[in-house]
Amino acid sequence: MKNIKQFKKILIANRGEIAIRICRAAIEEGIQAVAVYETFDEETRHVHTANEAVWIGSGPRKDYLDIDRIIWAAKKSDCQAVHPGYGFLAENPELARACEKAGLIFIGPPVQVIQDLGDKTIARRLAEEAGLKIIHGSGILPKGQDGIDSAFNFTKKYGYPVMLKAVAGGGGRGIRRANSDDELLEQLPLAEKESVASFGDGRLYLEKGLIRPRHVEVQILADNYGKIVHMGARNCSIQRRHQKLVEIAPGMIRPELEKNICEAAVGYARHTGYTNAGTIEFLVDHDDQFYFLEINTRLQVEHTVTEAITGIDIVRRQIRITQGMPLDISQNDVLCRGFAIEVRINAEDPKQNFAPEIDKVVSVYQSPGGPGIRLDGMVYQGYKIPAVYDSLLVKLTVYGFTWSDTTSRLERALKNFVIVGPKTTIPFYIKIVQEKEFLSGQFDTEYIERHPELFDYRSLEREEAKIAKLLALIHHKKYNPFTE
Amino acid sequence: MINRIFPNTSPSNGLRILLDAKGYFITNTARDLSQSDFKNRILPHTDFAVADERDEAGFFSLEITGGASIHVDLLRKQINPFERLALLRKKMPRTMFQTLCRGINLFGYRPYPENVIRLTVKEFVKYVEVWRVFDFLNYVPNMIPVFEEVKKAGKYLEPAICFSTGPEHTDEYYVKKVHEIIDVTGKDIILAIKNHSGIGTPGRIFHLISAIKNVFPDLIIHYHGHNTDGNDVGRILASVKAGAKIVDAADHSMTGFFGPPAILTVIQVLEEEGYHAEGINKDAIIETSNKLKKIRPAYSQFESQFKGFDPTVHIHKLPGGAMGSSFEQAVKGNFLDKMPDILMKELPKVHIELGNFWSVTPGSQILWTTAVAHTLSGKRYENASQDLKNLMLEKYGPFPFRKPSDEIYEMVFGSNWKNILKNEAGCETCIPIDIDMERKKFEQAIGRPCDLEELVLYLQHPKDTIDFFKYEEEYGKTYILPPEIWFKKGGFAAGDIIKFEDYKGKHHQIIIGASNVREDSILTYMMIDHHPEPFVYRKEEKKEKVEKKIEFNLKEIDDLAEMGEIRAKINGVVIEIHAKENDIVNKGDLLLTIEAMKMLSNINSPINGIVKEIAVKLGNNIKQGDLLIRLKIKA
Repeated sequence: MKNIKQFKKILIANRGEIAIRICRAAIEEGIQAVAVYETFDEETRHVHTANEAVWIGSGPRKDYLDIDRIIWAAKKSDCQAVHPGYGFLAENPELARACEKAGLIFIGPPVQVIQDLGDKTIARRLAEEAGLKIIHGSGILPKGQDGIDSAFNFTKKYGYPVMLKAVAGGGGRGIRRANSDDELLEQLPLAEKESVASFGDGRLYLEKGLIRPRHVEVQILADNYGKIVHMGARNCSIQRRHQKLVEIAPGMIRPELEKNICEAAVGYARHTGYTNAGTIEFLVDHDDQFYFLEINTRLQVEHTVTEAITGIDIVRRQIRITQGMPLDISQNDVLCRGFAIEVRINAEDPKQNFAPEIDKVVSVYQSPGGPGIRLDGMVYQGYKIPAVYDSLLVKLTVYGFTWSDTTSRLERALKNFVIVGPKTTIPFYIKIVQEKEFLSGQFDTEYIERHPELFDYRSLEREEAKIAKLLALIHHKKYNPFTE
Repeated sequence: MINRIFPNTSPSNGLRILLDAKGYFITNTARDLSQSDFKNRILPHTDFAVADERDEAGFFSLEITGGASIHVDLLRKQINPFERLALLRKKMPRTMFQTLCRGINLFGYRPYPENVIRLTVKEFVKYVEVWRVFDFLNYVPNMIPVFEEVKKAGKYLEPAICFSTGPEHTDEYYVKKVHEIIDVTGKDIILAIKNHSGIGTPGRIFHLISAIKNVFPDLIIHYHGHNTDGNDVGRILASVKAGAKIVDAADHSMTGFFGPPAILTVIQVLEEEGYHAEGINKDAIIETSNKLKKIRPAYSQFESQFKGFDPTVHIHKLPGGAMGSSFEQAVKGNFLDKMPDILMKELPKVHIELGNFWSVTPGSQILWTTAVAHTLSGKRYENASQDLKNLMLEKYGPFPFRKPSDEIYEMVFGSNWKNILKNEAGCETCIPIDIDMERKKFEQAIGRPCDLEELVLYLQHPKDTIDFFKYEEEYGKTYILPPEIWFKKGGFAAGDIIKFEDYKGKHHQIIIGASNVREDSILTYMMIDHHPEPFVYRKEEKKEKVEKKIEFNLKEIDDLAEMGEIRAKINGVVIEIHAKENDIVNKGDLLLTIEAMKMLSNINSPINGIVKEIAVKLGNNIKQGDLLIRLKIKA
């Protein structure tokens, strides 16, 4: 007998665009959405989008990470479930555990699954058990000289390049590459330090690096009754320092290969007892061999591209699965049609190493529209780029029937933005969408490194706004300083 | 039938039309008018505003580029000089454009390497049909690379002989010069008589041109003068009577005292004498001036503070183009009271002492600064400028008539002058520069690839070109603004509406809103096409901290370098930074490249160490002793 519990209200333990995304899904499901916010966020959009909002503290950041306060807010507002979004507590098994204890339902996989798969060594062992290839790893390096010795033993066996990874890392953070003994010696202490600072855990391991690898990941949905479907693959090869910049669906690989990878992902989910939405990430080497990388036990930023090409709302399915409903789609219902690209429009200066434009105010915001455009944003006129949260303004997802329909639409949409105030990543994306390799659909994780010219762009400011700047200067200085 | 030469008329046909014409042709010297009477401030906006009328007027050419205008476009008008010509060409398809090129000095003040000269001319010939080329010493070899490139491009070559007065300046001398030029160029040229100071009587001009025409009856002569003494129309009439086929003049409603005389006056006077202005539409000339009359007040602040003609130009011989700026300098330098002494006594004296060559760029600047220095300091030929030294070492070319006296050489170079002269004298041969390397430096500075035109500008004026392209990226194509906005003083009033058409033809309006004045900033909202946007201006610190500058000698700088504190040994500009903070560097590793006096010098690491601080940025001007880089010594 199916055990179905209809939610009336859910709490969204997040902020920004993803909180808004979840609100929308909840409201469409006929469920009330409750936002939480720190003082810094009291005026922001996700608070207004939700049906109710609960203040959880003065923050910054620490209250979004405070499990007790999240549980308190959910109880106080009579919620039945908690959706963690991505980031913050999304992959922290303690939140799921605390929910369970408090009689709340956590919208995500079971606690034990989060806990096990969050440990990369366990996740990799499970992958091998499920018959997946993994990239050879060193095992956790002991501390001090022993660690250095065993690192060198590993490189003697498998050669360079090797990747240094934090055991507790994720989202691309805590990964470094070494191409030689010297570099390895130099990188080890840095990686350890960084890992302690980022995750509070300095343990590292080594992995064999691949040649021009492509990052391909598979979105899966699994209900509580053993039904698992994949929703096709995504290609997230375009990365900068292992942070994804451009995300594409489908996988941009040979169809048979994509099919094999998707089936492998479903096998892995089955083997691990996975439920709810998740993403299994792979690296595809130059010879089309694919290797299990990691699994993300949560909703991902780039889920929008999968939604675009399948037409299936992933967040709504997440909520339904958690309510105990059986998955209403079978593998045959998942038809990937066309191409979608998502880019994150951040208030950052790509030329300054993507430094966030902290404290700049968005004085004008106009967004693109028209066919095939989806915006998941939290920016508004007057929005001030926070120093304490991320600098994302809006996610742009474009859809088109062919790859070239999609790339030209992306270029058009990017150019239709008017954002005055902070510098943004838009001109950088325009360079990408005009670049030949990208247009031919060929890219790997070294794409950005290989194309330094992407940073040679001219400002996209509107001509009248530039001239207005000069007029303001003439006005304020009481003469034109450029005539002297 | 109207007799006109168009931009696509081949020079051979054009020269034939000129030779066969019964009357004479007119060049509208708008560029020289701007230089002489408006301190070179007339904006492209104004030239665009009367483009239709001027194109209709039927001039032989519009002198619209060259001289200092390339530099001033970048520096004070914030327009790409090539783009200006391209835009004007679209608006004026029927009129040839003319430039003034200083030969080996191109559009600047010092000799350029030959590869730069050739590349520059190659790019400008795309827009310019008539090339007036001169050398301030009338030294023909200095003009040959430009001659060759103009000929190669199939454009009108107009070599100039600079004209002046005095016992050396005989008809024989000038006829000999014409021979020298024609020996190099062949006969298919226009010869310019460049009377940049507007001196000599009409009679003198008549004799000179008659003497030339006597030897070269088929030579087309183009007379150029200035109206400083108020009588250039007399000289123009004399030149045409003697056989000149083209004369220079300007739009009457803009004429002042030191530039060209009025076109319409020339036409009226010469008509009476039986000379017909070929191709000319008088109505269009009048219409041009009617329009300009309304625009002129916006430029009033740039007109000479001193009104009236100056017939004493026959004594001081300042070129018309330098009159306004000389007086401006005197006002700014607070030596206006010394001007009669400078102009009537010292300048003519220096001019004669230094060999009575032609007072035109860059020679006029050398004469002027020398005379000013003498008058203000009371000492003659002490602390001579490097330019004067270079002139006396004949680096610009040989003196045309005689060298200055031994006494002057001794005063300028000291007792060892004979040796210096022996070892250093002679024409400077500029070593060709590595253009690809320059391109890389430029592209690094502007952060994007450049095209050849942009590179050519950089090769002429590196820093100002970089600044201009940065300006353009920041403020856009502001040449669309009219002079009353561009030169606005005292700020706008709240509610002022500024309407303009951007370079793509889109109309915009900006309404100035109220300002919120705070202690250290001003905030003004402006409505840009109906959207309000805030603009914040941070007031500059009233008094910058007076930093006590410690001066270091070269020995001290070397000692500091050994300790990891690298300071500049010469004044210059930082053009490349090869290291970044925390880099580990070894002794001898390249850290910075400095450009000083157009020379590149590398600064290498004096020690093994780690870069702790880079105290300079790309493009910084540095002075001797300034901190460049701090290194931490590595054991």
